[in-house]
Amino acid sequence: MEPDAADDADLLHAHSAGDPHAFARLYDRYDRPCFQVIRRLLGVAHSDAAEDLHQETWIAVSKNAAAFDPTRSSFPTWLFTIARHKTWDHFRRQRVAILASVQDDAAMMVSDPGQTPLEHVQSRELAEEIIAAVEALPLEQRCVFVMFVQAGLSLEEIAQVTGVAVETAKSRLRYARAKLRQSLAGERSAHA
Amino acid sequence: MPDHDAAPDPMDKAYAQADAVLSDDSARAERRARVLAAVAREPATPPAGTLLPIRRPAWRRGGWLVAASVAGVSLYLTIQLYPSAPFRPHPAPTAPAVMPPPAAGAVAETRKPASPTVAVAQRSATRSSEDFPAAVPSPAPPPPALPPPTAETLPAAPSAPSQIVTTGQRRREAAPNSQASPQETHGDRLPEAMVSARGDLEPTPNSDLVVPRASAPSAAPKSSAGSPSQVVRLHAAAAAGRTGELATLLAEGVPVDATDADGETALMKSIQADHPAAAALLRRRGANLDRKNQSGDSARDMASAMGDPELNQALGLDP
Repeated sequence: MEPDAADDADLLHAHSAGDPHAFARLYDRYDRPCFQVIRRLLGVAHSDAAEDLHQETWIAVSKNAAAFDPTRSSFPTWLFTIARHKTWDHFRRQRVAILASVQDDAAMMVSDPGQTPLEHVQSRELAEEIIAAVEALPLEQRCVFVMFVQAGLSLEEIAQVTGVAVETAKSRLRYARAKLRQSLAGERSAHA
Repeated sequence: MPDHDAAPDPMDKAYAQADAVLSDDSARAERRARVLAAVAREPATPPAGTLLPIRRPAWRRGGWLVAASVAGVSLYLTIQLYPSAPFRPHPAPTAPAVMPPPAAGAVAETRKPASPTVAVAQRSATRSSEDFPAAVPSPAPPPPALPPPTAETLPAAPSAPSQIVTTGQRRREAAPNSQASPQETHGDRLPEAMVSARGDLEPTPNSDLVVPRASAPSAAPKSSAGSPSQVVRLHAAAAAGRTGELATLLAEGVPVDATDADGETALMKSIQADHPAAAALLRRRGANLDRKNQSGDSARDMASAMGDPELNQALGLDP
């Protein structure tokens, strides 16, 4: 995804000025990555809340459109910051999800098994395995991985969204990829 | 050196393909309709500057009108209620002359206090006047230079803490032999644990002015050493990852688990800001991983939410 920050800002400005079509155009650009990022962050246990949080995110975008400052951040950075906050708020309300990631700590440092034959994912079964492996990642690693791959954010933008240093975001992405490779290699050897 | 982490990875491609295989376009269309309808129901906030200048003066005028109305009605009711039966045959000339002093108190009681500060100041003034009655003999010499507290504290008290400190100083001036220690001074009013928990904050002689822990407005330390400013500096150093300053403050005796108003420790600050070196230093100095803040989250919970292996390693959470 190659976001055009100026156009996004123009659409947002047009929306706050009362243009009825501007918001729909903006929504269509980011609907899919926004929803999928929220859904992956929530994981299987909380996937039911994805629709609501996605809607809340866009309502927040609409209501705060006048406050968006394109000189401070790009629209995707702003949008995914809101989405992440909505998701974290949900976790806080539930008081379970963030604590549940404690069990992932033991598996956080993994050896990278190297390349896996996943270049052509065509079967639904394999696709579900991959999604399940992503949703089993520790929350912050999952956040970085999904925002990088699904939302197309740069590591600098992810660092801004998640409030960490770029190096931290980078190491989280590296660990996430290594852990995915390791889990999928394990799955495939188990099937074999 | 090329940045290999930012480059595309086969896992990225595999995930993107898996996501595409599992995508559901019909659900997406339904979602689009629902979200856009919801957004249309919630109109965007107008640009800043259009509402506030209009609303504020109106609110202020309304507030004064309500206060004036309440005061007027209270005064009217007081005048109507206080004249007793013998005066009814001669209402007009005599009624105002015999109106007793409680009338002013009644008016004041019917008004809602403008702010907690004023309420504290009023309570403080009342207590002070009770504490220093002119006719009651006292072992301590009466405060000769003590100004009338009501006149000074009531009209324009800037904030509650300054009221507390001022009152405490007056009390010590009035009773010089009670300056030995906070425990000795207030042992009959405050539980010992609460006194020690207040650290070197200025003690208040009025036990009803003690701010409950949960709603303490400032970053008061919860242990016996370390001033509030040192605790604030400790937390700031932890949040900024300044390990040198952390070590200095800890060497000066600032408690490693001192908490701020939210119940958060320096260790929590260093974890939230993702400073493994600072977190490791605090852990080496005995910082508690399982102490919880007021939201019920411990440093351990925060570290696991951060998901940074380096941080977890620094905290000794890695296997």
